[in-house]
Amino acid sequence: MTLAVDSELAALVGSSHVLTDPAACAGMSVDDKVPDCTVTPAKAEQVAAVLQYAGQHRRAVIAVGQGTKLSTGNPPQRYDIALSLRKLNRVIHFEPADLTICVEPGMTFGEFQTLVGAQGLWLPLDPRGGAEASIGGIIAANTAGPLRQAFGGPRDMVLGLRIATTEGKFAKTGGRVVKNVAGYDFGKLLTGSYGTLGVIVEACLKLFPKPPERATFTMQAGTLGIARDVRRSILRSSLSPMRLALLDSAANTLLDNPRESDAKPGVELWIEVGGSHRVIERCAFELKQLASGVGGVLVRREGAEVAWGKIADLARWLRPKYGDVTVLKAALPLAGSEEFLSRAQQEAEAEKIGLASFAQVGVGIVHLCVLQERRTPNLLGWTARLRQAAADLGGSLMIEHCPVEFKSGVDVWGARGDDLEAMRKLKAAWDPHAVLAPGRFVGGI
Amino acid sequence: MLYEYDALSSLRQPDAVVFPRTTEHVVKIVKAALQHKLPLVARGAGTGLSGGSVATEGGILVVFSRMKQILEIDLENQRARVQPGVVNLDLSLAIADEGYYYAPDPSSQKACTIGGNVAENSGGPHTLAYGVTTNHVLGLEVVLANGEVIHTGGRHWDSPGYDLTGVFVGSEGTLGIVTEITVRLSRKPEAVKTLLAVYNQVRDATRTVAAITARGITPAALEMMDGFTLRAVEEATHAGYPMDCAAVLLIEVEGLREAVEEHADEIEGVCLENQARDVRRAKSAEERDLLWKGRKTAFGALGRISPNYYVQDGVIPRTRLPEMLDFIGGVEKKYQLHIGNIFHAGDGNLHPLIMYDARDRDQTARVEKAAKDIIVRCVEMGGSITGEHGVGLEKSDLMPLIFSEDDLELMSRVKNLFNPEGRLNPGKLLPTGKMCGELRGGLAGGGQV
Repeated sequence: MTLAVDSELAALVGSSHVLTDPAACAGMSVDDKVPDCTVTPAKAEQVAAVLQYAGQHRRAVIAVGQGTKLSTGNPPQRYDIALSLRKLNRVIHFEPADLTICVEPGMTFGEFQTLVGAQGLWLPLDPRGGAEASIGGIIAANTAGPLRQAFGGPRDMVLGLRIATTEGKFAKTGGRVVKNVAGYDFGKLLTGSYGTLGVIVEACLKLFPKPPERATFTMQAGTLGIARDVRRSILRSSLSPMRLALLDSAANTLLDNPRESDAKPGVELWIEVGGSHRVIERCAFELKQLASGVGGVLVRREGAEVAWGKIADLARWLRPKYGDVTVLKAALPLAGSEEFLSRAQQEAEAEKIGLASFAQVGVGIVHLCVLQERRTPNLLGWTARLRQAAADLGGSLMIEHCPVEFKSGVDVWGARGDDLEAMRKLKAAWDPHAVLAPGRFVGGI
Repeated sequence: MLYEYDALSSLRQPDAVVFPRTTEHVVKIVKAALQHKLPLVARGAGTGLSGGSVATEGGILVVFSRMKQILEIDLENQRARVQPGVVNLDLSLAIADEGYYYAPDPSSQKACTIGGNVAENSGGPHTLAYGVTTNHVLGLEVVLANGEVIHTGGRHWDSPGYDLTGVFVGSEGTLGIVTEITVRLSRKPEAVKTLLAVYNQVRDATRTVAAITARGITPAALEMMDGFTLRAVEEATHAGYPMDCAAVLLIEVEGLREAVEEHADEIEGVCLENQARDVRRAKSAEERDLLWKGRKTAFGALGRISPNYYVQDGVIPRTRLPEMLDFIGGVEKKYQLHIGNIFHAGDGNLHPLIMYDARDRDQTARVEKAAKDIIVRCVEMGGSITGEHGVGLEKSDLMPLIFSEDDLELMSRVKNLFNPEGRLNPGKLLPTGKMCGELRGGLAGGGQV
């Protein structure tokens, strides 16, 4: 990047907010591509100014919150400017009695939960990146963990957004009231768009009261078939669990016992319920009945929050031991999880691929973590077969994380249907010069 | 012509009304309209309240009353695939025996169609706990303006790519014509309790609303009716509402037996702390149905006592309800009108009903001013110009109250992508620029919220 360009950006946000030091920029690399500079605006207007500059000069920009999900996506075609949003971390409006809040995107999820938690409220999400993830990043990636069972995902919690565009303007969608049908719902469009349309500079979210008590139970299910029967019974019951996860033996063992000295056989169901003491007692009783019906034992786990955090972000906890763990995510009609897991296990065994997996069996999301990274064609072929297996079940499969070498042989998102052209047009309308994370999204968007 | 109206009003007749049975029929209609440069307006049951389905510029009215098949019910995966003309309640009835239902429940659910609900992103009394239409739609089949058919979303959550489903839901027929909808189905709760809290002061009722949520309870529904509305409703339905009170809250809690009992007790306590003079509980399913019948048919009841009425649909943060109801009382006096209030209090979604006689031009003019004052106040309080009825024809020129020129320009740009000639539901949703800030489409109508 030339000195002139550098000074132009510095004029927009202040020289102390522009870093061109290669070492600093290396920290913002995406799929091994290092940007020329890192810009850290402190105000929404500066975000818009930087985007306008990028649009005018055709400089490719990737917006970064805390960087916990930066490895998701195809390699960027170009990447000149890292736009760090971590200084935009203020509360703009918070009225606890309305159960609504508006914040800037760089606020971390941990800070956010502490703030609203003091009022007995929470945002019932357990996203990838956990407490470190930024609110903007959670929305941009629409990441939800097992709590989605009861509360839905970011898509269902965003009430309104303010978005800076590459034309240097702001677009508003929705507002800060819980019901609103005025205008097109661009909040849905931006949620899960991975920063390819605009940059969120303010998000208004719906909050929920924290349940008075919570309890986690686990049930050894033995086989996937038994796990499926139990899942069916739970979903047909009135219990409405807050979280429902199925862990395979490897994931379950690693979760409790990183030394693997005492491997746990078979799959295990993790169930969390919330409510009053009486409600929890009732759930415990019914779950116990269910467990004994299939010859299993129900165990109540104290202090399970840490374990749930690990389940929601399994790969991160596996990395210290297994290095760069590849993660596949299948999204299926909800009854397809167990069958998909079974297919994945068979295929992994045939390829001698080590696997730790967990499934949100009540919503049909399965995460597979590859423990023995080999970067051989086997892994590519295995992924392709699993993609087909997901499609056969009426679902789809994406690669949430993998080493960059692997990305040259595969589209991480998978094939898209007959709506791809409409998506391309939307991209062109929002980001006419294609400077936002070019090439990273579905279909090369 | 019947099809000249919805529950709002009408300006002009369509040139033709067609009744497709299949997606292929819709494609043919869209291509014919393309060839002859005719406007296209999709319509379900015509129960809308913002003029969204009236053909203001003529053209072809595509009525979905013959595309009303439930194509697939898949309880194992908790979803169903339906044609747009399926009546909202019919879907719930079809799965009721299995213990499931379709959650969004507009008050017009006995008549309104799921296609119409998708176009308007409809709500209903129980959206407080379960969300509106968009939270229950997984995927759509859409015929675009050029006759091309696309499929958005899928049969599961998290389809990769932009959430086009989320953009089409609530787009009021201006981006394409939906021909098939995949919805999520919900498990019926084990227990339901319905409470009626009776107040001598409106302010005490409105204060109760935020007090309930402050206790960490999210009722399935939390509705308010003022005394004026209540008396009209009671005379029409004999639901057993008290005739001499200032307001009632109709509160419903659902879930596990234990939770429902505890929440009902706690809510009763909150109501009494806020000076409710009486809190009744429906003792049977019949009593519960009667209370809800009163609520859901209230508009019709008001129609009995006034030749015409106008329904406003505004949203405010729920903590501002006491202030807002005072304000509406002031508007009533200022313009010498009768305004009934019956609304989704838990969501802060107001529905002031302004009584008038359309033959009285002076009164009609005052109604328009009163409606405008109320909506402007909603916006000042940080709210919105519509919570569930849609922008439609009626409020397109109020959009600048909450959106900047840049916001609207971006919306126009997206509209132009899908609707380049402006033939899909012309004159709806976005401002025409002719009468900035005025209510359009006139005042009339019945309907239900």
